[in-house]
Amino acid sequence: MSLLTDSTPAGSASLPAGVPTPARRRMSQARLRSLATPYLFIAPGVILFAVAILYPIAQAVQISLFDWKIIASATSDFLGIANYVRAFQDDQFWLSLANSGIYMLFTVPPQIILGLVIASLLKRKSPAQPVFRVLFYLPVVTSWVVVSLLFKYLFADAGLLNFTLGDILHLTNGDTSWLANRWTALIAICALGIWKGIGWSMMIFLAALQGVPQALEEAATMDGANRWQRFRAVTVPAIWPALLFVTVMLVIGGFNVFTSVLLMTNGGPGGQTEVVLTYMYQQAFTFLDFGYGSALAVILAVIVFVLSVVQLRVFRDRSGQDLA
Amino acid sequence: MKRSAQLGTIAALAASIALVASGCSSAPATDGTADNPVTITFWGAYGNGGNSTQQDALNKTLIPEFEKENPGIKVTYVDVPYDDLLQKLTTSAAGDELPDLVRADLGWVPQFADLGVLTPLSDTMSDFADLSKATYPGSLATNLYKGKYYGLPLDTNTRVYITSKAALTAAGMTKPPATFDEFIAMAKALHGTGITAFADGGLGAWNISPWIWSGGGAITDDKLTTAMGYLDSPKSVAAVQMLVDLYKSGDIPNLITGNAGATSTSDGLPKGVYGGILDGPWMQGVWSGQYADFKPIYAPVPAGAGGSVSVVGGEDIVLTASSKHQQAAEKFIRFTQTDQFQLEMVKTGQMTVMPALADQETKVADFYSTFAGQLKTAKSRLAIPGASKVDTILSTELTPAFNGTVSVKDALSKAASQIDELLKGGK
Amino acid sequence: MSRIQPSTVLRYAALTVGAAIMITPFLYMVSTSFKPQAFVLSNPPQFIPNPATLDNYVQALTTQNFGLYFLNSLIVAAVSTALSVLFSSMMAYAFARFAFPGKEIIFRVLLIGLVVPAMMLIIPQFILAKQLHLLDSLAGLVVFYVAGSLALNTFLMRGFFESIPAELDQAMQVDGANAWTRYWRLAVPLAKPAIATVTIFTFLACWDEFAWSLTIINDPLKRTLPVAIQLFQGQHSTQWGLVFAASLIAVIPVIIVFLVFQRYFVQGLTSGAVKG
Repeated sequence: MSLLTDSTPAGSASLPAGVPTPARRRMSQARLRSLATPYLFIAPGVILFAVAILYPIAQAVQISLFDWKIIASATSDFLGIANYVRAFQDDQFWLSLANSGIYMLFTVPPQIILGLVIASLLKRKSPAQPVFRVLFYLPVVTSWVVVSLLFKYLFADAGLLNFTLGDILHLTNGDTSWLANRWTALIAICALGIWKGIGWSMMIFLAALQGVPQALEEAATMDGANRWQRFRAVTVPAIWPALLFVTVMLVIGGFNVFTSVLLMTNGGPGGQTEVVLTYMYQQAFTFLDFGYGSALAVILAVIVFVLSVVQLRVFRDRSGQDLA
Repeated sequence: MKRSAQLGTIAALAASIALVASGCSSAPATDGTADNPVTITFWGAYGNGGNSTQQDALNKTLIPEFEKENPGIKVTYVDVPYDDLLQKLTTSAAGDELPDLVRADLGWVPQFADLGVLTPLSDTMSDFADLSKATYPGSLATNLYKGKYYGLPLDTNTRVYITSKAALTAAGMTKPPATFDEFIAMAKALHGTGITAFADGGLGAWNISPWIWSGGGAITDDKLTTAMGYLDSPKSVAAVQMLVDLYKSGDIPNLITGNAGATSTSDGLPKGVYGGILDGPWMQGVWSGQYADFKPIYAPVPAGAGGSVSVVGGEDIVLTASSKHQQAAEKFIRFTQTDQFQLEMVKTGQMTVMPALADQETKVADFYSTFAGQLKTAKSRLAIPGASKVDTILSTELTPAFNGTVSVKDALSKAASQIDELLKGGK
Repeated sequence: MSRIQPSTVLRYAALTVGAAIMITPFLYMVSTSFKPQAFVLSNPPQFIPNPATLDNYVQALTTQNFGLYFLNSLIVAAVSTALSVLFSSMMAYAFARFAFPGKEIIFRVLLIGLVVPAMMLIIPQFILAKQLHLLDSLAGLVVFYVAGSLALNTFLMRGFFESIPAELDQAMQVDGANAWTRYWRLAVPLAKPAIATVTIFTFLACWDEFAWSLTIINDPLKRTLPVAIQLFQGQHSTQWGLVFAASLIAVIPVIIVFLVFQRYFVQGLTSGAVKG
């Protein structure tokens, strides 16, 4: 279906035989135009992206190679990869990387599964559907500052969750100090992440589920396939690009968790719940060590990039096309 | 606002034409006169919190007064969210887009002085000696970096001991504890009453310094050259040990070791969960809003071998080196040190940096007297570029000491050696 | 009259429980916004404010220039969203429909934009914005918001464009339509669910963006809403009732955009364009 591959005689079959030369010259001009077409389509976006994103990224990488002095007139010492070596020897960095990874692992699958389940429940037309959609979308639109505070309050020692678990459900003593310990605090932070993100993946799946061919579904039902078999055979392939997109984006987002950790625990107690971005922010904007902060950001970016490319290759489009 | 921005643009244009015409490459000597109108920008966090009294005092009373006395100088105040002001300043510094004046947190002054973006006022202001003598020594010391002063105190505050009638009665006391011994006795007396004797929100310099200093210890020597031998001196160790012992016996909750889910001090004291806290003058406004029936009792920090010594907080006013209107900005700095400015801001809830005005301050609100008294002896935290790292070092090293896995002396020695590296100019 | 299926009841029950969990914190936010001077969130939680007051809303709305901040955010978000959707859908169409040298490399480069934490770019971008004379301007916000959203939107839409059957494109090609026509008349209308999604997300991201707006805008008249709401947080303490009230006011346009565009999710993909 590519314009560029029709250089065979069959491609020019649309033109009647015996077309005079000026027309052929116009045709090659047309061919040149068609060669340029994709580039013209991507030009505005790529130029803007290159200038406003890529160039700063290159500069950020450059900053990571220096003991960067903020003021332009000061000379920064070239450090080479010293900042990177320092990161690899930094226990706190490894801890923060582990926390980011744990957060990612525990928030991505629930968001995908629950988002898909809810989208499936909401895909049919009915007057109630928009209402439910808004309700599930509300956490997504509420600011991180507000919800982090609310969840911190929820998980407080004297908070609603302890109250429910202890006094109402009698499952625990009601005095779990959620935010005082690394693992329980991570549970609280992950709960926030999942709660806030379900509406987002729900949205993507809602859009994707519109593209599931009705005809195939009906054919499968007539063949006696049950719900699960229909889901696997018809729905999943149809929403495959969306599934892949959501997974890649949630993995990226998971590693990039920041505001919720900052506001719920500020990396505490004693740096136990520090994640890469909070650690990076502290190094760069509190200690003003931008070289090191940039190096941390680059390391994280590389890890996430490699993970994303791997996901895109391994879970390539079912029709055999590479999506990346 | 819009109008002064327009005037400001015209003014800047006129000033630059004048500059070119006069062939000068530096700021003209008669900067900010009626012939050479200028606009100076002033960044601060006065308007934060939805309570506009401070910003209004500035914009409606003080700045018009200054502009009247100095025709040709217009001041534009820009309110910035406090938590993000440092990031905005840093980014602006990197892009050479700093304002003329900044109401800077104390800890930022050495940091930005070290970057070279601040003007050393002790060099450039001829009347600096007089101005500085009028302020609290602890507040002034926050501006000192490598022998020069890079700002002047603008407003100040400190931490005092706050308790409640309920707690005192439960402990069988009529007055707040005045000494370390009374403090410990109060904690013992509160056993079994359901009130935890003392709570604080962390183990950084802001939290632990009052105890170390009051106990007769120190963080570093006077010249800020070494912490080893001072931070882990017997008196410092004893002061921290007192807190550790109280923590172990359950008289201090784990809020101090970083439990973000524990009841906050602002909630705990009025509710009778905590018996005492250290906090600042802003709590009065908070409690009168949420806990109208609560009557806090303010007292000096309990005194140890070193007396009752607390830690200085507040903001300094600094002038950026890149400002094109140094003289005009200095005039405004001078204006902030006048009685009029200081007292006007006292009315809105800021504490004055001038001991001489303490009596008038107390007339505005009684409870200021405790704070003003405490400020006489309050000391500044380390005025070094790495000040925020000091907080992290102290928290990281002291938490295991409170949890009992490390001795207080070892923890403080470890912290001292790391602080020594910062003092030597390392990162 | 149709019988009510047990599966339908079950479905609605599950949805209701789920929705309740989703909105409980939000409800508490609403409730607290009607409480006077809520400096702290009370324990045990008080869902019904007593006494209830409108003071927080009045204060938020009558804050000097609040309407102007709202308008600034609206303009910036609307323009950024429109431009971003346009540029990224063009890019996505090119990636989905054409094979050209460098295609996958360029796409992977776009991915890089997704994985780098924005905070680390803020200083280089500030200096760049200064060089382009975009400092302290709404245009400076738009340019960088669009640039920052291109990677995500292109990535999302590429998948949708690729799932549009190629026969439809070829049919139009045979009829003599050029690439732009095919993009504008065929792909865009068919990808309405994807475009609606992208619109909703981009609008939300631009509407809520805080760090860049705080950094480059100095003139209070050009301030955007998230910065204005952050200013309701105090230096030493914060009245959360006021912050919540302001946040709720700010959430309204986003909900409106969502409600307007979410109906496109129900439109079929191949509305009769291909027979057989």
